[in-house]
Amino acid sequence: MTSFVVRRLIASLVIFLAATYIMYVLTALSGDPLADLRTSTSPQKAQLIASRTALLHLDVPVYLRYFIWLGGVGKCFIGQCDLGVTIQNQPVTVLLGQAASSTLQLVTFASLTAIVLGLIVGITTALRQYSSYDYGVTFISFLFFSLPIFWVAVLLKQYLAIGFNDFLSSPDIPWWFVAVASPIAALLWAAILPFSGRNRLWTFLAALGATAGMLTYLKLTNWFTYPHIGVLGLAITGTAIAFGVTGISNGLSNRRALTAALIVVGIGVAIYFPFLYGFSFYLQPWSFALLAVVTLVAAFFIGWRLGKPDRAPVARTTVIVAFVMGLLITIDRLMYVWDDYSASERVKGRPIATIGAMTPGLEGSMWVHMLDTFTHLLLPTIALILISFATYTRYSRASLLEVMNHDYIRTARAKGLTERTVVVRHGFRNALIPIATIVAFDIGGIIGGAVITERVFGWKGMGALFQYGLDNVDPNPVMAFFVVTGSLAILFNLIADIVYAGLDPRIRLS
Amino acid sequence: MKKARFAKLLAVTGVAALLLTGCAPQSEVVSGSSLAVAWNQPFYSYNSSTTYGNATANANIIYMTGSSFNYYNDVPELVKDESFGTYKKISDDPLVVEYTVADTAKWSDGEPVTAADMLLNWVAVGGAYNDTTFDPTEYMDPETGELNGKQPDNIVYFDSGADPTNPSGLGLVTEVPVISNNGKTVTLTYSKPYVDWELAFGVGLPAHIIGKKALGATSNADGAAAVIKAIQDKDTTALSKISNFWNTAYNFTEMPTDPELLVANGPYVISDFVADQYITMTANPQYAGAHKPKVEEITVRFITDPMAAVQALQNGEVQIISPQATSDVADALKALDVTTLLGIEGTYEHIDLQFDKGKSGTMNNPKLREAFMKIIPRSEIVDKLIVPLNADAQVRNSQLFLPGAAGYDESVANNGSSAYADVDIEGAKALIAESGVANPEVCMLFSATNPRRANEFALIQQSGALAGFNVTDCSSKDWGGLLGTPGAYDASLFGWQSTSLGVTNSSPTFKTDGINNLNYYSNPEVDKLLDQLDSEFDPAKQIDLQTQIDKILWSDFYGVTVFQFPAVTAYDQTKIKNVSQGPLSPTIFWNCWEWEPVAAAQ
Repeated sequence: MTSFVVRRLIASLVIFLAATYIMYVLTALSGDPLADLRTSTSPQKAQLIASRTALLHLDVPVYLRYFIWLGGVGKCFIGQCDLGVTIQNQPVTVLLGQAASSTLQLVTFASLTAIVLGLIVGITTALRQYSSYDYGVTFISFLFFSLPIFWVAVLLKQYLAIGFNDFLSSPDIPWWFVAVASPIAALLWAAILPFSGRNRLWTFLAALGATAGMLTYLKLTNWFTYPHIGVLGLAITGTAIAFGVTGISNGLSNRRALTAALIVVGIGVAIYFPFLYGFSFYLQPWSFALLAVVTLVAAFFIGWRLGKPDRAPVARTTVIVAFVMGLLITIDRLMYVWDDYSASERVKGRPIATIGAMTPGLEGSMWVHMLDTFTHLLLPTIALILISFATYTRYSRASLLEVMNHDYIRTARAKGLTERTVVVRHGFRNALIPIATIVAFDIGGIIGGAVITERVFGWKGMGALFQYGLDNVDPNPVMAFFVVTGSLAILFNLIADIVYAGLDPRIRLS
Repeated sequence: MKKARFAKLLAVTGVAALLLTGCAPQSEVVSGSSLAVAWNQPFYSYNSSTTYGNATANANIIYMTGSSFNYYNDVPELVKDESFGTYKKISDDPLVVEYTVADTAKWSDGEPVTAADMLLNWVAVGGAYNDTTFDPTEYMDPETGELNGKQPDNIVYFDSGADPTNPSGLGLVTEVPVISNNGKTVTLTYSKPYVDWELAFGVGLPAHIIGKKALGATSNADGAAAVIKAIQDKDTTALSKISNFWNTAYNFTEMPTDPELLVANGPYVISDFVADQYITMTANPQYAGAHKPKVEEITVRFITDPMAAVQALQNGEVQIISPQATSDVADALKALDVTTLLGIEGTYEHIDLQFDKGKSGTMNNPKLREAFMKIIPRSEIVDKLIVPLNADAQVRNSQLFLPGAAGYDESVANNGSSAYADVDIEGAKALIAESGVANPEVCMLFSATNPRRANEFALIQQSGALAGFNVTDCSSKDWGGLLGTPGAYDASLFGWQSTSLGVTNSSPTFKTDGINNLNYYSNPEVDKLLDQLDSEFDPAKQIDLQTQIDKILWSDFYGVTVFQFPAVTAYDQTKIKNVSQGPLSPTIFWNCWEWEPVAAAQ
């Protein structure tokens, strides 16, 4: 194991050095860093050219200038990183710090959501292979996969931001819309859900009723002005979640697990009002984080106490349910400030943002700022999810299908295990092995993978750093980007290999 | 609805919470009014006089938060702001200028603007005391690339790009300006005449603040006095501290912790600044000048992508945008209910012909130069490439005058450029025949990475082929470095950036061996006229001289000017009015105090 890691790291380092050299030389030779000064008619032209030449060592041939840069990077080992300066004389090390935090904020949530959604959809399509649901998802995921992100971004801004904000200025759902939209939604549901014959008809009717009822409720409560989940919504959703999570994780026959999950839901409903109208006003980000941790620990404790004899799986269930309940209550709390936020002088009734990370000058409570961050993250997150979603669904679908055709699955079924146990315990776990590789690799890639997204949504992250450097024939920011993304790629590839060996006993690292 | 239903519960839990904590829940949104403008680059230094901070993104903010003796409007012409101060030229030779700040000129902390501030600007920008032996690169922080402020305390170095060994502009004022009129007036004496003196001087950073921060003075008055004393006594130790502070303290990329760094003397003061996101300026309550703003608060948001700026305008996140002019932007703006202003930038596209040391040498021959100028399809280039971005775009017809500036129309009327208004294939053929050169080659240098220039080249190549020119491609991605290289090319296609209307800007380009004379043009008559121009103070005579030079350049077949780079500004007329766009810095911000909110008409 150790010798494997050491060998891999040494080989990677050599490749990495060669790659940085090529990257540096290519960037430096891609144009003329003095271009803007050469066409200047400024009286100081000669001095400006001289000072930039000195600053960026332009008098040193590119092939040797690399080693000046490398020397600065080498200082990282003594804790004094020097990644050079940009053409505008700004320190790259500082810019890199700002850029990395901005990018992390942008891509973390998007990647996690894409992974979770992709896995769920991929697994369900594999279990319902060749159903209309499967075909539908395949079509949609390939459609999004093939769309260029700059175009998706422009469309999202046009319809989800500008169009939706226009709608919000007088958010009334006309009756004709209810009449037209409900059958369409019902048709979609009937096509997606894996039933046939008479059951499909019932699906259609149920979906028709549910959609029409929902739209009517939204219309009558003026929901888009005063959005809410409400205590009733929370109780219904929470109960459904408790049943769903228990069903998958423990099986509904495990009464202890179900009881524990429902108790967690009950507690969530009980603290709904005190939270919403009471102590949520006094929360700060740190106390909110503390509250979240306390909630999860408490849920774990409930599961642990009630879960005899198999405590751990039950505790897992209660923690998941508590997490979802917390999420719902938080969302409801954010909805509670929605109309104040939306109507504020700063937001001017157009809450969904197309650009930047925050509304300038907005003042308010933690909830207002949290909501503001979400309205700014919404579009770039959707754009990122849409394009990475396809990969995860396809991989997880293929992986689960392959696993489900193995002999040991047939054996498991033959010895009379429930379908839940077969799928979740024997199929799903083994299907995750190849996915782990992809996920690890993607996490390395996401840091640098949002170049276009960042530009169109006005985020100044790693991608902006890279593009800025390339536009100005300035190797230093490009190299900073390259060093970070390159070392993450190497690191996560290594982690993927190690994880692989851990998950799959057939593989040994030696 | 929801609220009514839960009102009772709210009351109960609210009272409970009150009892528990002893204070009431605050209103969650604090409102205020704002106007947002999109700009493509983040602000990063509050001192644009340093070589570090010299960028439009900084200059815009400094303009809105500062006052100056004069500024460029949208014509463009130089306008004086006498509510800030007045200046007058006392004599031409030696050039003596007297600057007096008005009583209404005040800093945002209430201190008056005084001679101390002007003296500081002189010592910093002019660089008269800069240590000429000092090599600043030795003291650049390797971490930050800025001057690290650690240079020895006997070294004075203001990083303004001034070179005391070869002084120009304000650097020609070598003696300490004389203070008079109770500290409100300074008199500058130039060591030789400098005709662009009006553009050379202003008030930069507050001396009383720098005196306090850099020299440790305890009060504002002491701070200003300490700065004056240091400059008048040439106290190297104190000046060294001042220069360190001046070079480095104003470089910030987010709200500085010390609010005194934001003390300004203009209509606005910086009130909020979030790194990479936006910078907000609020009306300066101390401002007593003529440029009293009507919008209480202006936010500049940093948006790089032109289309993103258009959609942000559409979504109401910004009210004014001035993105890079592209055909996508032009099309998108047409579809929106916004007011679009079409204008020009300071940069202009032009084609220079190599009078000597060309690749094929064909352009040494005046007949071939004339013939080549006849085949350049200038109006076709503008119609096909620029009109889609700016429907009002026109061909630029003068080598010296910016379209719209005083003298342009008169000069164009008789500089002979009209002979090249349309392509004249027959005329060109006749001239080529006269020259006796068969199928003359013209190799054109332009940027290989610029699609617009490649298209221009293609149009010229087609047109040239009709007359018998063999126009070839000398493009390179390193075109900037190749400019002026002997034997590399015959004609060059690129843009010159004009940043001011200063008349001394022409000499480097057209004088024999000037720094920007890259086509080996040399005409003793033009040299003589340029010398006269560089020492002529009378604006009318300046225009007359420039007109003469312009005419000679065209009749010498110098080359052609093609177009002014297009600029586009769009704003939401339901929110704001009186927006206008100037070709020179600070472009759209030049009249920010005239911007006026439109009352919601609903």
